[in-house]
Amino acid sequence: MANAASGMAVHDDCKLKFLELKAKRTYRFIVYKIEEQQKQVIVEKVGEPGQSHDDFAASLPDNECRYAVFDFDFVTAESCQKSKIFFVAWSPDTARVRSKMIYASSKDRFKRELDGIQVELQATDPTEMDLEVFKSRAN
Amino acid sequence: MAKLVETFPCVPSTERGRGILISGDPKSDTILYCNGRSVLIRSLQRPQDVEVYGEHGYAATVARYSPNGEWIASADVSGTVRVWGTHNGFVLKNEFRVLAGRIDDLQWSSDCLRIVASGDGKGKSLVRAFAWDSGNTMGDFDGHSRRVLSCAFKPTRPFRIATCGEDFLVNFYDGPPFKFHSSHRQHSNFVNCIRYAPDGSKFITVSSDKKGMIYDGKTGDKIGELASEDGHKGSIYAVSWSPDSKRVLTVSADKSAKIWEISEDGTAGSVIKTLTFTESGGAEDMLVGCLWQNNHLITVSLGGTMSLFSADDMDKPPLLLSGHIKNVTSLAVLGGNQKTILSCSYDGLIVKWLQGVGYNCKLQMKDNTKIKRLAAIDSNILLTGFDNKVWRMPLTDNGFGAADHVDIGNQPLDISIAVDTPEYTTLVSFESGVVLLNGLSILSKIDLGFVVAASVISPDGKEAIVGGQDGKIHMYSVSEDNSLKEEAVLEKHRGAVTVIRYSPDLTMFASGDANREAVVWDRETKQVKLNNMLFHTARINSLAWSPNNKMVATGSVDTNVIVYEVDKPASSRITVRHAHLGGVNAVAFVDECTVASSGEDASVRMWHIEPQ
Repeated sequence: MANAASGMAVHDDCKLKFLELKAKRTYRFIVYKIEEQQKQVIVEKVGEPGQSHDDFAASLPDNECRYAVFDFDFVTAESCQKSKIFFVAWSPDTARVRSKMIYASSKDRFKRELDGIQVELQATDPTEMDLEVFKSRAN
Repeated sequence: MAKLVETFPCVPSTERGRGILISGDPKSDTILYCNGRSVLIRSLQRPQDVEVYGEHGYAATVARYSPNGEWIASADVSGTVRVWGTHNGFVLKNEFRVLAGRIDDLQWSSDCLRIVASGDGKGKSLVRAFAWDSGNTMGDFDGHSRRVLSCAFKPTRPFRIATCGEDFLVNFYDGPPFKFHSSHRQHSNFVNCIRYAPDGSKFITVSSDKKGMIYDGKTGDKIGELASEDGHKGSIYAVSWSPDSKRVLTVSADKSAKIWEISEDGTAGSVIKTLTFTESGGAEDMLVGCLWQNNHLITVSLGGTMSLFSADDMDKPPLLLSGHIKNVTSLAVLGGNQKTILSCSYDGLIVKWLQGVGYNCKLQMKDNTKIKRLAAIDSNILLTGFDNKVWRMPLTDNGFGAADHVDIGNQPLDISIAVDTPEYTTLVSFESGVVLLNGLSILSKIDLGFVVAASVISPDGKEAIVGGQDGKIHMYSVSEDNSLKEEAVLEKHRGAVTVIRYSPDLTMFASGDANREAVVWDRETKQVKLNNMLFHTARINSLAWSPNNKMVATGSVDTNVIVYEVDKPASSRITVRHAHLGGVNAVAFVDECTVASSGEDASVRMWHIEPQ
C-alpha cells in the first residue's frame, strides 16, 4: 500500500480501476472517497461507458468532497475524435472545512498514483465542472 | 441564442463650464462622441443605429475619424491615444501614451499621417504631434503654460498647427517639423475651441469672453472678428465650419446656437440665424457642443440632448435625441402594443423610450434629487430617492405629470407595487424594516429586527417576502391591520439577498444574492425548484421573469445577462456576454422572447432570446 503525505493510504483497487479505465475503457468515470476511519482512499462508485457527463455530475454529492476521474470524448478542430482523462478535485463550497483540508492535502500524492491523467480540474460548485469547462480545457 | 435587437444609447457626457468636442465622418454620415469609457458611433440617417467601442481603460474624452474614414483615433483622461479601424471589429492599430495628463482635443492631418493632440500635461507636454503609425514626435510645442483646450491642423499644404488654451493664448506653429511661430492674446478669457475652415484659408477661435476671432490660415495673423451685435451673451464653447467654408455654427452658454456668415476676406462675420434651445428652462439647456456635417447641424446641450437641424431649412423644428449620461440603475416596462420602457439614473433623470422607435421624452427631477429605484404600473411611476422620499408621478401620453411625494423617514432600498390592489399598495424596504404605503399615504412602518436587503410584495397585497443581509429569506403574510406575520424563513443563499421577484402566475418566486447565486422557489411548498444557477461570476443585481413563467433572466456586475429556463437544468442557459461595460444594473422582459437590460454604460439594450 502506498502512503500519502497526510498519512492517507491508497487502496490498491483505486489504481487497478484507473488502469482499466485507461487501457481497456471499461468505465466512463470513477469516483474516489477518503474513508476517514480507515484512513485510506477507496473507490466509491464507477460509471459505465454508456453514461454521460450528467450522470457523472449527479454522482458527486453536494456537500462532501471527492476525487474523480472522467474519460472525456470530444472532436478536435481538425475533426478527429479524441479523448482525454480528467482528474476532478470536487470540493464544494458547502462542504465542511475539515473535509476540504483533508482532500486538499492528500490530492498531490494521490494524483501521482494515477499515472496518465492529462488535465486537472478543481471544482467548487457544479458550474465549475460544467460540460463547457471540460470542452474548453480539452483543447 | 441571444441577439442584440435594439440599443437606446447614452448621450455625450458633459461637464458644466466646459465645452465638449464631437466629430463625424461626412462620407458615412456618422458622428462620434464619448461617454464614460465608451466611444459611440452613431449614424445620422438612422439615429437608432449605434456602435460602441469600449476598449479604453479610462474615461474617453474625444474621438476623431481620419480624413479617409478608415481609422478612428480616440483619447482618454490618462493621456493615451488609441488608433483603431472603423471596420473589421475595431481592430487596434496602435496605442500611444501621448501626454502626461488628460487629452482635450485631437486632430488628424489631411494626409492621414500625423496626429496632433493637446490637453493637460505636467509642464512641458501640453501639445504633441506624432506620426499615426509609429508615434514619433514631430516638432516642439512650447508657448503654452496652462491646459490647451483645443488644437487644429491646417487641412491644406503648407501645414500649420494652431492651438488655444486656458492661458488665453492662441499659438501658431509652422512646420513640419513644427516649431513656434507666433502667439496672440486677443481673448480675455479661456479660448475654448479653434477650428480651420475646410479650405484652409482661415481659422476661428471662440472663447469664454463671448467673442470669436478670425485669423489668416497661412500666417496666423488676426484678420477679423465675429460681430458683437446680436452676438452671444455667454461663453462660446464650440465652433464648427460649414463644408463650403462660408459659414460657421457656434454654441454658447446663453442657450443658443448662432450661424454666422464669414466674409470672403475673413474680416467680419455676421449672424444670419439664431437657434435657441429651451427644453427644461434651466442650466441644462446650455449648449456645449456642435458639429456641422453635410446638411446637418448638431448641437449638444449640457443635459445631453442632441438636436439635429437641417442646414437647408433652419426653421424646421429639430429632431431631438436624448438619453442618459450617467449609469442607468433601474428599468420598468409598461404594456400595450408598442412597449414603453422607462429607465432612470441616479442623477434624477427618467427617460421614456418606445420599443422600435427610441427616445420619446425625459424628465429631470428638480432640486438635484437623486433617485435609487423606479417602479411603474399603468400610468403611474413611483420613485425612491436618496433623500428618504418616495415620489409618485403620473405618466401622460407625451410626458410626465406633476410629482408629489412622501417622506418615509429612512433611506429606501427597494420598492415593490402590489398591482392587483385597488389603491396600489406599495412595499418599500429600508435598512431595518419595511413601510407599507397606500398610494402616497403611509399605512404602517414595521421594524423587522434584521438588516433588510431586498423585498417584494405579492400582486394581491397579501404576502410579502423580505431578504436579509445574512442571506435568509423571510416570508410574511400581510394582515388586515397592515402588520406582517412571519410565515417561514428560507435558508439557502450564502450572501446578502439582492433581489426577489414573483413569477407572473404567482406559483414561484426567484431570488438572487450578492454571492452570484440565483434560486427559483416553489411558493406553496417553499422548496427549491431550480438549483445551481451559479453561472455569474459576481453579484447579481437584478432578476426578471418572462410573461409565460418559463424563463428567468439575471443581470450581474460581471457584465453578463443569463437567461435560465425553469424546466431545464441550469447548465442549459443562454448567456449574453458583455451586455453593458461596467456591469448590468437592471433587466426586464419586454415580451416572451425579448429582454431589456441597462447598466453602467448609461445605455439600454434589447436582446432577442431564442430558447434552444
